[in-house]
Amino acid sequence: MSHPHLLGLGLAVTLGMAGSFHASGQTRRIPFESFDLKNGLHVILHEDHSTPIVAVTVMYHVGSKDEDTTRTGMAHFFEHLLFEGSENIGRGEFDSYVEGAGGVLNANTTQDRTFYYEVLPSNQLELGLWLESERMLHARVEGVGIETQREVVKEEKRQRYDNQPYGQLLPATMEAVYREHPYRWTPIGSLDHLNAASYEEFMDFYRRFYVPNNAVLSIAGDIDLKTARKLIEKYFKDIPRGAEIARTQVVEPRRQGEYRDTIWGKDALPMVVQAYPIPAQGTPDYYAVEMLNQVLSGGESSRLNRRVVDEEQLALFCGAFSFGLEHPGVTLAYALASMGVDPAQVERAMNEEVEKLKRELISPTELQKLQNQIESQFVQSNSSMAGIAESLANYHMYFGNSDLINTEIDRYMAVTPEDIQRAARKYYDPAQRVTLYFLQTPQTQP
Amino acid sequence: MIQLHTPFSCSALRIWAWAGLFLTISQALIAQVDRTQAPKAGPAPTIAIGDYHLEKLPNGLTLIVVENHRLPRVSWELSLDITPIMEGPKTGFVRFAGGLLGTGTTSRTKAQIDESIDFIGGRLSTTSEGIFAASLTRHTDALLEVMSDVLLHPSFDASELEKYRSQALSGIASNATDPGAISGNLLSSVLFGDAHPYGEVETAATLKAITREDLVAYHSTYFRPNVAYLVVVGDISPAEAKAKAMKYFGSWEPAEVPVTPVKMIGMQQGNQVCFADLPGAVQSNISIAHVVQLKPGEPDAIAVSVMNNILGGGGFSGRLMQNLREDKAFTYGARSSLTPDRTLGRFVATANVRNEVTDSAVVEFLAEIQRITRDLVTPEELNTTIQYMTGSFARALENPQTVASFALNIERNRLPKDYYKTYLKKLASVTAEDIRRVAASYLRPENLYIAVVGNRSEVAEKLARFAGNKKVQYFDALGQPVKGYLPVPDGLTARSVVEKHYELTGGVAKWRNLKGVRKLGQVQMGLPMVLESELWIQYGKGLRAEVRMSGQVMMQEVATPAGGQIAAQGMKKEVTGTELESRLRDLDALYLLNAMDKGWEFLLAGIDPQGERPQYVVEVREKGKPADSPPAETLYFDVESGLLTRISALKVGTTGPTQTDETYSDYKEFGGFQFPTSVAMTANGQSLTSTFTQIEVNPKFDSQLFTLKP
Repeated sequence: MSHPHLLGLGLAVTLGMAGSFHASGQTRRIPFESFDLKNGLHVILHEDHSTPIVAVTVMYHVGSKDEDTTRTGMAHFFEHLLFEGSENIGRGEFDSYVEGAGGVLNANTTQDRTFYYEVLPSNQLELGLWLESERMLHARVEGVGIETQREVVKEEKRQRYDNQPYGQLLPATMEAVYREHPYRWTPIGSLDHLNAASYEEFMDFYRRFYVPNNAVLSIAGDIDLKTARKLIEKYFKDIPRGAEIARTQVVEPRRQGEYRDTIWGKDALPMVVQAYPIPAQGTPDYYAVEMLNQVLSGGESSRLNRRVVDEEQLALFCGAFSFGLEHPGVTLAYALASMGVDPAQVERAMNEEVEKLKRELISPTELQKLQNQIESQFVQSNSSMAGIAESLANYHMYFGNSDLINTEIDRYMAVTPEDIQRAARKYYDPAQRVTLYFLQTPQTQP
Repeated sequence: MIQLHTPFSCSALRIWAWAGLFLTISQALIAQVDRTQAPKAGPAPTIAIGDYHLEKLPNGLTLIVVENHRLPRVSWELSLDITPIMEGPKTGFVRFAGGLLGTGTTSRTKAQIDESIDFIGGRLSTTSEGIFAASLTRHTDALLEVMSDVLLHPSFDASELEKYRSQALSGIASNATDPGAISGNLLSSVLFGDAHPYGEVETAATLKAITREDLVAYHSTYFRPNVAYLVVVGDISPAEAKAKAMKYFGSWEPAEVPVTPVKMIGMQQGNQVCFADLPGAVQSNISIAHVVQLKPGEPDAIAVSVMNNILGGGGFSGRLMQNLREDKAFTYGARSSLTPDRTLGRFVATANVRNEVTDSAVVEFLAEIQRITRDLVTPEELNTTIQYMTGSFARALENPQTVASFALNIERNRLPKDYYKTYLKKLASVTAEDIRRVAASYLRPENLYIAVVGNRSEVAEKLARFAGNKKVQYFDALGQPVKGYLPVPDGLTARSVVEKHYELTGGVAKWRNLKGVRKLGQVQMGLPMVLESELWIQYGKGLRAEVRMSGQVMMQEVATPAGGQIAAQGMKKEVTGTELESRLRDLDALYLLNAMDKGWEFLLAGIDPQGERPQYVVEVREKGKPADSPPAETLYFDVESGLLTRISALKVGTTGPTQTDETYSDYKEFGGFQFPTSVAMTANGQSLTSTFTQIEVNPKFDSQLFTLKP
């Protein structure tokens, strides 16, 4: 009951890997087959009969970075609208079809993509395909749904951001880090923008992004590959291809010196956030930064945890993780200061740990620990069909290579102590840093 | 397929013709896709539940193994089967004992434990009811080495305790703006109160009271193999698991583990509105809740679960979600849960809604709860929900931990061995009538708590109309009642209020000279018969109380500074220690004034305006206790009459703290003194009322009256 609440921001580091384990010499490949329909829809299938369920997922390559600067929040809002029905599915029936068939469904939106999924009993594969093809072919976007979901999304924003402790952490940080790039707003966007959007704009958005050539259909579970292929053809092959999509070309300019700011709020304990720009996910340096963050905050014995939380008790928690994004992203180091501790003192301790990594190489033993941790996470991840379907889709969408589900671990294992040191020097650069303090607004005496 | 032997012109024609044919065929294929109807399901797949191995080891540890070689990993979960205990003024020590278990052993520091676990990429976490550890198969021995050390030789290092304490105190500060955390505290506190372990909330004062000895004692009492399950899941055979269990946990010594009965708590009457203020909040966190008496696996449990799923269960189809989100757009999500429990379960329906629709949302919640207790659910709803729950059951089996949790539930709750194998059949047989019956018997739409965390100035008073007494009760972030006392007039002190009471009832000097009293009357304790009571008090010497039924003595009590005895129905009990001390108060006619002189701290906290008549509130604490710690007793004096009306006390006994309330009313004059002729005592939902019909001042005392029997 009185455990410190962990921000509700999903600060957990997900490495997004799965598949084979090299260090142990054991290998469990995740087999899959993939193909494109003529309309450009990319299809990935993974067959696994251990449980009689199937995950049917569609990932659209559209997120908040594809939004107009005066219509932020559109991609996420659309995710809500696309549960409202289609020409053949009435309002609310997406839910009742799936749940009435014994399945679950949901969706989520990030800066880069929107992801819809159903997990169904395996004899209901066709139902999932019908629903997703309806969503892609002729979703129904109309008055009642728009008005209802507008209010629902406002409640979502209040619940997740405005009425959450440190709820402004992510929006405020992204806004400070990015000045040009659309990553400067978060997927929840602006309520005013959503209020201002017209019906035509919604339809334009749908026609532009919800097209087969901008989507990945990824299916994992108790399926027969041949039958699945046939059913996919049946429901998806006649959905017309859309126009090519022009993507934002904005490149975030380099910063000339550190940016510092204080965000005032009502939360009692000070939060320190440091943000550093990093390369896009999938680049070699991205993995070096990931390993660097693992040194800093992977487990209780990691450097920030041991020093800042345990030995010096300056913070309730302290960590570092990367926001891996399609375009150059950001890595965050953060700490929730203990009661009565000056946030500047916490910040100094965090900086000293980073500086140490710039000066000294990590030992072979510490490297071994990191690799063991990575291997263990790799084995644990993707133990569910929904997770495998999503990973396969991700790897295709961002890297054009779903087999990374089996091989991405090699990229982590290839990182050397020298790479980690270089990443610390290059990316944990004070001149590129944004430092934010989240402090309690001083109480004025009545 | 195309005939290449024919002349070109001809073949060109034929190709066109064929193409035309293909076109028609493919159009026919498209036409076969009937998009207007949902496709039919294929034949239902078999849902197979994996097996588990169960075995008791020589020291009483029960081993459960679920073998699953899909991934090269093994998890080890040690789970204690114990009853929750009251923690009282040290609330938090049970959690501390669990948390600190992993922070040092007699041969390993916390840093060494962390390093060993991180080095193998493993996980180790400890709670007051067990330890969880997991790693890749090849690190099993390294993992168990640490897990076993943590279990068998924890050091409960004093400096780790201080660290843990200061983090917990920071945690309280950090939670003070978290609506979810505040709501959790509020619900615990109002649903379960002081009398049940689930109602205890950690505060700065309780956390500061925890000592190392509390943790050591908890561990050595409750961490015993004879009340423990070791659940092993993953890439390991039962034989290997047993060998490892013997090696690492074989020397763990069994011992008798106490079972503390948990008191049943009384049900409140009428709906109550409980509000915790979160200034500046833009949403109200609403919980509609009450306690439920339903144990896991009881015959009604499955129907209750279906009922809750229709009302506000997991998916989007639930009535609360459809009504409050999809229809009214009040919220991002509205759900309910009904959790069976071995002591006391709970029903909670919840949503976060914008301030201006808070009262409208409560209306919808109450209407939905009413409706499901009154009307039959539709066949579609019932079918969708049973299908959904069947699907959830199948999906859960994707994780091998599910089979392990089934095994553990069967063992812990003494369920039939085939409980889960027959679960789907039982689920499918639930009817609409069953739903209405269980809704009507387990939901209490007329007796529930409406607990809201939100913006008091914008929201709270609009909720008063939902309360049986039309009042909103206010609580702080830790779920403790906000006193809301009004200031007292200048010059008034705790001493002057207490003195006034004695003056009004006879005068301080006259009370001081009073030798004793004899009181005759009746006692009512919820029984149909009336019991007669006789009470003798000789101030400074002794007291004697007798309760009789039709002249037969049922209970007799004697208390003197030299000792006390209670005899009832042939049984005799010596009264000693604090229990005796509390009885001896009655031997002091000016007890309150004298306690003040002995150094007890009396604080006039204010005027409580709630209730029928305003009351002065005097809080009494032991010498040296801070003014923000919970008072040992609280005294209430009627502002208008000046007389003592109530003493409420938190008493800590062997089974934990209990809240007792004594009310005094109907003051009447006997021999120049005013005595309350009605004294009601309530403790933990039980009450006892004494009515005095005759009070004799300075009676003649028999010298044998207070003699203790050998």
